[in-house]
Amino acid sequence: MNQWEVYVNDVKELAEDAEIELTIRTLNPGIHKYTYKRVRAQLSADLKKHADQLQVRLGRGQLSNSRFSIKVLGEVQRMPAKYL
Amino acid sequence: MAAPRSNREFIEACVKSGDAVRIKQEVDWENEAGAIVRRACELAAPAPFMEKIKDYPGFSYFGAPLSTYRRMAISMGMDPASSLPEIGREYVKRTNGEPVAPVLVDRKDAPCKENILKGADVDLCRLPVPLVHDGDGGRYVGTWHAVVTKHPVRGDVNWGMYRQMMWDGRTMSGAVFPFSDLGKALNDYYLPRGESCPFATAIGLSPLAAMAACAPSPIPEPELTGMLAGEAVRLVKCETNDLEVPADAEIILEGEICPDYKVEEGPFGEYTGYRTSPRDFRVTFRVNCITYRNNATMTISNMGVPQDEGQLLRSFSLGLELEKLLKSQGIPVTGVYMHPRSTHHMMIVGVKPTYSGIAQQIGQLAFGSKLGPWFHMVMVVDDKTDIYNWDEVYHAFCTRCHPANGIHIYRNSTGTPLYPFATPHERKHSIGSKVVFDCLWPVDWDPINDVPTVVSFKNVYPKDVQEKVLGNWTAYGYPPVK
Ligand SMILES: Cc1cc2nc3c(=O)[nH]c(=O)nc-3n(C[C@H](O)[C@H](O)[C@H](O)COP(=O)(O)O)c2cc1C
Repeated sequence: MNQWEVYVNDVKELAEDAEIELTIRTLNPGIHKYTYKRVRAQLSADLKKHADQLQVRLGRGQLSNSRFSIKVLGEVQRMPAKYL
Repeated sequence: MAAPRSNREFIEACVKSGDAVRIKQEVDWENEAGAIVRRACELAAPAPFMEKIKDYPGFSYFGAPLSTYRRMAISMGMDPASSLPEIGREYVKRTNGEPVAPVLVDRKDAPCKENILKGADVDLCRLPVPLVHDGDGGRYVGTWHAVVTKHPVRGDVNWGMYRQMMWDGRTMSGAVFPFSDLGKALNDYYLPRGESCPFATAIGLSPLAAMAACAPSPIPEPELTGMLAGEAVRLVKCETNDLEVPADAEIILEGEICPDYKVEEGPFGEYTGYRTSPRDFRVTFRVNCITYRNNATMTISNMGVPQDEGQLLRSFSLGLELEKLLKSQGIPVTGVYMHPRSTHHMMIVGVKPTYSGIAQQIGQLAFGSKLGPWFHMVMVVDDKTDIYNWDEVYHAFCTRCHPANGIHIYRNSTGTPLYPFATPHERKHSIGSKVVFDCLWPVDWDPINDVPTVVSFKNVYPKDVQEKVLGNWTAYGYPPVK
């Protein structure tokens, strides 16, 4: 199970059961904790639906009470190839 | 006492004078180190030198490097007990001298080259990048550092302290404001041409190099550092671009600023004492090479409520640079002071009020200068008011500033996105508003009949009565006054 975190201005941005793009950071322990990825994912308020868990922070870093389970479908590469 | 030439010499001097403590027990890079630095700032306690960091054997942290005037004095090679006006006079004297050009040293004489990571080895997570405040948008690589760039046409070098957040192992994003030197170079040149801008971030600088990187002085920072230190700063060529970086720095990151790609940055605890600026897509840095000293020390400034370097050092250099500017224009200023608790938002200017409108002239120069975006209040008092004594300044403000005639407001000027009082739209577009508080008696008032007399012990009693009372004070039954 992986732990992820997302920043949003409003929890309504997190549509359930649809494929959405998100910038998420890993909360897994270790030296890479808090590094980001851009991903395609599916969310559910049912915490058992997907294996990974997602917690939510709001605009100024406040931890939201909303929690989701998340399935990461794949990574989205926004960065132009010349920098890779 | 010579000014410390490196972060290591500075730590040693601070430990020796009791202005830093060695923390031997393991400290977590996630929140704990940040919390120690924050508490040290709020208590004006010695700077924490954290020698053992979880997950990062061999690395250490030095926090709150210049968040007290004592450490500022040590950084200048002065007696730690020097007063603020003494430190200020020394800063002005040194920075009014001849520029001291840097010297280029060989790679083998540059400690920052002791370890070099290139290609697939480049991973910022190999450095102990701290999570400074819980809830921050990321771990911040650059909180007390210099971003080194060179103007593509003029060739002049810029060292600026612009915060940098780690986005992933090779990418950082940072708040480079459009009115900063780097912001101007990016917007004038690189972004319209779609060219990437070479940069190097130097972390763990000598304290005077760091002071220069966040001083709003027109002198290029390598020369300014040399002037402050009284000797040339040692630079060395980068591995992957033609920039030069301080050879004695602890850690160097080399790379390019992407003109066509941005990632999210923030939120972050800021110098105003709040998290104000929103998470946004900001200037994005791609790291191509990391070099660092053996047993490298990462420096941490933890911004929040007063007082940390964001307020103390910036108030110091903004105030003194404004004083130099006003004097260069022939204005009879007697001093300029920013109280750190104003989070460098209020300039207090003492002046001999010899002609009408002098307060507005001062305000317009101050707000119209390169320093202007960083503060929004100018309070002008006369030369008899002690600008360092808030009680006196506050008394002058509350009694001499005419609510209709003495407050002058300027709208739609330049501000910072960090102003807590600004509207979300103003923050997004760096729009500011400014105010001058004129606390001078108008020069067209009759000085005998119109100007009120200050009623104080010092001002209304004859000298001989004052001396008698002072001489008899304890005889009257009062304890001695310190
Ligand atoms: C701890 C600290 C952090 C700072 N962070 C930023 C920042 O993120 N962005 C910025 O534009 N200025 C920041 N500043 C202020 C700049 O360092 C300062 O304006 C400096 O003079 C920049 O140089 P320039 O205006 O000559 O480009 C910071 C200052 C300090 C002391």
